[in-house]
Amino acid sequence: MIETNGGINRTASIILIAGIIFILSPLAIALLVATQSYEDFVAAGGISLIPGRHLIDNIAHIALETNLPRQVLSSIIIATSVSAIKCAFAFTATFALVFFDCRWSKLIFALTIATVMLPLELIVVTTYQVVANVAMPFNWLVDLTGLGFLMERLGGVAPHLEWNLLDTYVGIAAPIATSSTSVFIYRQFFLSLPRDLPRAAAMDGAGPIRFLIDILLPLSKTPLIATFIFWFIGGWTSYLWPLVAASSSDMQPAIVGLSRLATSEQDRIPEVPMLMAGALFVSFLPVVLIAVMQRRIVKGLNLSEK
Amino acid sequence: MGNTIELDQVSKAFDGKTVIDSLSAAFEDGEFVAILGPSGCGKSTMLNMIAGLERVSAGRILIGGAQVQDSPPKDRGCAMVFQNYALYPHMAVRDNIGYALKVAGVPKLERERRIVEAARIVELGDYLDRRPSALSGGQRQRVAIARAIVREPKVLLFDEPLSNLDAKLRHGMRMELSQLHRRIGATSIFVTHDQIEAMTLADRVMLLNAGRIEQFATPHDLYHRPATTFVAGFIGAPPMNLMAVEGDGATLCLPDGTVLAHHAHRGPVTLGIRPEKIATGRGALTAKLLYREDLGSHSSLLVRLPGGQTIQIASPFGTEIGALDEIRFDFPADQIHLFDQKTGHRADT
Repeated sequence: MIETNGGINRTASIILIAGIIFILSPLAIALLVATQSYEDFVAAGGISLIPGRHLIDNIAHIALETNLPRQVLSSIIIATSVSAIKCAFAFTATFALVFFDCRWSKLIFALTIATVMLPLELIVVTTYQVVANVAMPFNWLVDLTGLGFLMERLGGVAPHLEWNLLDTYVGIAAPIATSSTSVFIYRQFFLSLPRDLPRAAAMDGAGPIRFLIDILLPLSKTPLIATFIFWFIGGWTSYLWPLVAASSSDMQPAIVGLSRLATSEQDRIPEVPMLMAGALFVSFLPVVLIAVMQRRIVKGLNLSEK
Repeated sequence: MGNTIELDQVSKAFDGKTVIDSLSAAFEDGEFVAILGPSGCGKSTMLNMIAGLERVSAGRILIGGAQVQDSPPKDRGCAMVFQNYALYPHMAVRDNIGYALKVAGVPKLERERRIVEAARIVELGDYLDRRPSALSGGQRQRVAIARAIVREPKVLLFDEPLSNLDAKLRHGMRMELSQLHRRIGATSIFVTHDQIEAMTLADRVMLLNAGRIEQFATPHDLYHRPATTFVAGFIGAPPMNLMAVEGDGATLCLPDGTVLAHHAHRGPVTLGIRPEKIATGRGALTAKLLYREDLGSHSSLLVRLPGGQTIQIASPFGTEIGALDEIRFDFPADQIHLFDQKTGHRADT
């Protein structure tokens, strides 16, 4: 039925416009403040909505004088790795769960989903200890089995390994690169595929790996792209763990770098215009990504394409 | 040995529940066999075991004399046409047909030649570059068949391939499948629950019930000499009339004493007669007409015998019905079938 009542259309428009204003006003304020100079900002005694003429200056300062461009590169590397690892693990795990008959697959699926319940914030200290020495579980095992004691007796030294991944991209990306949410999404998608598809591939002589690469991967393009972008943005905006794990300025992602801009000098009023210009600078890439890919994201999460 | 298939004491159980029970059968080289049966009788499971998609719980499967029950599907020389076609949605028709050859490492030129040949056989030559989603149901079915024959398999397996087509298309495809089989000459097994498909297409029909073979015979024998009451009741539309009678050495009588036919059998027995073999308009028996359908070619009558049993009669169109809806008929002695009442097996061998 097509609604012809103009009143309803008008009401809907008003509600939508109100919503848009509500969502966009912080962005507008950020943009306006970013155009002001520090002196204007201090003179106004707080946030003022009068546009200034220093946007280019501010951006140029961010781009040339701060470490943010280098940190944007770090962000790209970290977000891409996080997203790629998440997608790869979830995809292969779901493949195993859906296409292989196993008595325990329901239990494994439940356990996978249960990992959603443990946020990284909760285990950040333990995670730090592990990343500070990835060989720690090995050392622990050696001690526990008495093997260390034995080797100390025989060879004079107890084995103790050190492998520090703090302040490396792997160390920053790996702990936040687990996602069972994707398992959910991929599972629903796989179950929507024709049931005979893997059997047809088996008849055609394709083994499981061949089926995964030739059939499943191309078919899953849409949900894969959607979840990839989703997790990319998740990786881009992750703050707490990178703050803890990255100690050198170069390795820090842009979000952490941005927070450092605000607290450069103790006694000064924070350079809010510079901070806002930095925020614009940092969010530029994710915004472009969403703008370009939004149709694919919606499509992928709807699972509409079969 | 050719492309014979032999099943030797094959059993299949899922979680302790027996689906196929120690089944043995042999399929000849180049034969077209239909596996027919009600849903859940194990016919698809059997096809999957021959294809290698399902493992046997016990027993041996031999294709061309070689044991294959532990081999993966690709080493058995079987190709399969699936009920829902199971085409690869992201590949053009050409790549769908050629995928098996690509996996097998057939050189590109040779592959192309065989794809074109297979597409020509199923008359799909003009559609090679289309995606499956741009094809009709019948065309998708043809792609599925081309995909199966392109490998020149020893054995062609069909899993209810016509059940997704509309009635008119199904009739056409039936004819084409029959011609295709004659042309390819591969041993073909066709699983269906539609007895008309089984009877028209197959050289022999294996009728399965609850994981056992009820009868494995030509369509003619299945219809004219059913081995059990299950076969008699499954084949034919409407199915054979079955009633419990008592033989005294000369006649077969209903429990109320009505003499139905003359036969030398003694003791209780199940009498069967096909609706269209009952002679109407004359004879010693009378029954009351309950319901009548005129189908043009013949009339289908449901009548009640004096003892209360109802039977189906197919009589020539326009049969005279007497006053008070009484109908006279006769069971010709050469048209009656006798079955053991306990086992259901044929008694008049």
